[in-house]
Amino acid sequence: MNRLWLWAAVVASVLGIHPRMSAAQMKGSIFGPGTRSYPVAVALLKNLSGPTAADVATRFADIVGRDLTLSGYFKILDRSAYIEKSEASGYTPDSINFDSWSVIGALALVKGAYTLQGDNLTLEVRLFDVYQRRQLSGRRYHGPVSELRRMANKFADEIIGQFTGDRGPFDSRFAFVSTRDGKFKEIYVMSPDEGDLQQITRNQTLNVSPSWSPDSRSLLYTSYKRRNPDLFLIDLISGRETLLSQRPGLNLGAKMSPDGTKIAVTVEDDGNADVVLLDRSGKVIRRLTDSWAIDVSPSWSPDGKQIAFCSNRAGGPQIYVISADGGDARRITFSGNYNTSPAWSPKGDLIAYVSRSEGEFNVFTVKVDGSAPRQLTQAAGNNEDPSWGPDGRYMVFSSSRTGRRKLFITDVTGGSQVQLTHGGGDDTSPAWSRWLE
Amino acid sequence: MGKRLLSVAVVGLLVAVLGGGCSAKKKGTQAGTEGSGVGEEGLAGGGSLEQYKAGTLGSGEQGPLQDVHFAFDSFELDESGRGVLRENGNWLKDHARAKVEVEGHCDERGTVEYNLALGAKRARAAKDYLVTLGISPDHLTTISYGEELPLCHEHTEECWAKNRRAHFVVVSE
Repeated sequence: MNRLWLWAAVVASVLGIHPRMSAAQMKGSIFGPGTRSYPVAVALLKNLSGPTAADVATRFADIVGRDLTLSGYFKILDRSAYIEKSEASGYTPDSINFDSWSVIGALALVKGAYTLQGDNLTLEVRLFDVYQRRQLSGRRYHGPVSELRRMANKFADEIIGQFTGDRGPFDSRFAFVSTRDGKFKEIYVMSPDEGDLQQITRNQTLNVSPSWSPDSRSLLYTSYKRRNPDLFLIDLISGRETLLSQRPGLNLGAKMSPDGTKIAVTVEDDGNADVVLLDRSGKVIRRLTDSWAIDVSPSWSPDGKQIAFCSNRAGGPQIYVISADGGDARRITFSGNYNTSPAWSPKGDLIAYVSRSEGEFNVFTVKVDGSAPRQLTQAAGNNEDPSWGPDGRYMVFSSSRTGRRKLFITDVTGGSQVQLTHGGGDDTSPAWSRWLE
Repeated sequence: MGKRLLSVAVVGLLVAVLGGGCSAKKKGTQAGTEGSGVGEEGLAGGGSLEQYKAGTLGSGEQGPLQDVHFAFDSFELDESGRGVLRENGNWLKDHARAKVEVEGHCDERGTVEYNLALGAKRARAAKDYLVTLGISPDHLTTISYGEELPLCHEHTEECWAKNRRAHFVVVSE
């Protein structure tokens, strides 16, 4: 397998903002829970490079619009309503007719221009406050035209950062398991705007539990392609695959430590699942759990010092936390008799998990000390497999609310739940990468 | 490898369609002869994953050994399960050279990874009971498929109950 996907360097620089126009004073002031449809116009980029067949302008606007919609905070105004045409207008504060944007209801405006020379793309993009007629942010991106999607995802993250105070999560990738191409569970990778979809496995067996290396370059996953459920590591840039663990029985649910040096994985001894730590070559460093009970689904704390996991040592499955050096496990879930799939937030404060009650499975969060369990999904089918975005604010999860299992994004309040994947088949076990650089 | 897999799947399908009552034994024999040639894939012919590939999973012939069933989120053998295992044990005593793979399965409810671990527990519980009946552990291997290979696809308790099973595949006789 050759190179699966590659991100080249996207060089970004900040465009000058007038000193009086402090964006900082805006941050966090516009948005709070409950305000979720801030109207934004995303104008087509102006073409500065003469006639070209590339649909840079449309693609950029579509991807930014899609990301902002996924965030749950914005409403993208229909492009056909825009009065000011990109090719006939400017993209600096003094050359924009702000009245023509406020009259269609836009409170924020994205405008800019691009230059395409051969394969080299330069974007200059700005975010404006329409009411105050001022620039909130500006960025210049330079790189190969194949990186247009990343430039758009980066600017969407910048817009979200301007309005909420925290950078958005969309300059990233999802890995997930899907039956979209047939009856076999294969692993796919895609961009958050549902673009750049790539099928990673094609072995027509069972492939489960993809997870990212912290550098967002490699995937760990478990496959039955050699019949036993073995653990593999695939480098998505070189395409090189390594068989990391092939103990008889399960080699399952592996997660790389935040520093990339260790791998926590579930292995099986005499039918019993325990969590062990491997080094990068697959050699066992130490056993973390050694009980008669099922111990599965390790998830690292962001400082790499602790690991959350699921164990049925008290009867039904519950969430526990253990030091990465071993020792005693501390139970942190106490409501319900079926709590699984822990996912430790990259901010460190919360652990997401799945809880069963009244026959339904829902996504919850709990503080690391076990306090304040909070239900994020309800009365919308079964909701499982939470995985945090790089910002620690958004999560991706799978839900059967529309029939087949699809991926959805929610923020940490559960207040905005937006469908991420569409089409046929079941999409499950999503893993959200860190930011790409 | 892809063509080889396909041809094995097609053979399996033909055997299942044409073979009638003998299909399980034929598939078992086939597994024994195919095993070395297929190399790493190690197809067991009559295993649930191979049946799933061939499109025959849940569509008929169970083989000489019966499934053992479990309660939700449980790997405990009940009296009925132990009864099935005693019958399976008798068959194994009559076929002393037979090698059997015990598969652990779960219903669709719950988490993929937890269910894979639960399936391993179910397979192990069935194997351990057969060993207490005098079957050599060397003749019994286990594998878990969790909730991945259901026999029945409706979202009903009746269907789930069928899927919560330890399944026995005669790998060679």
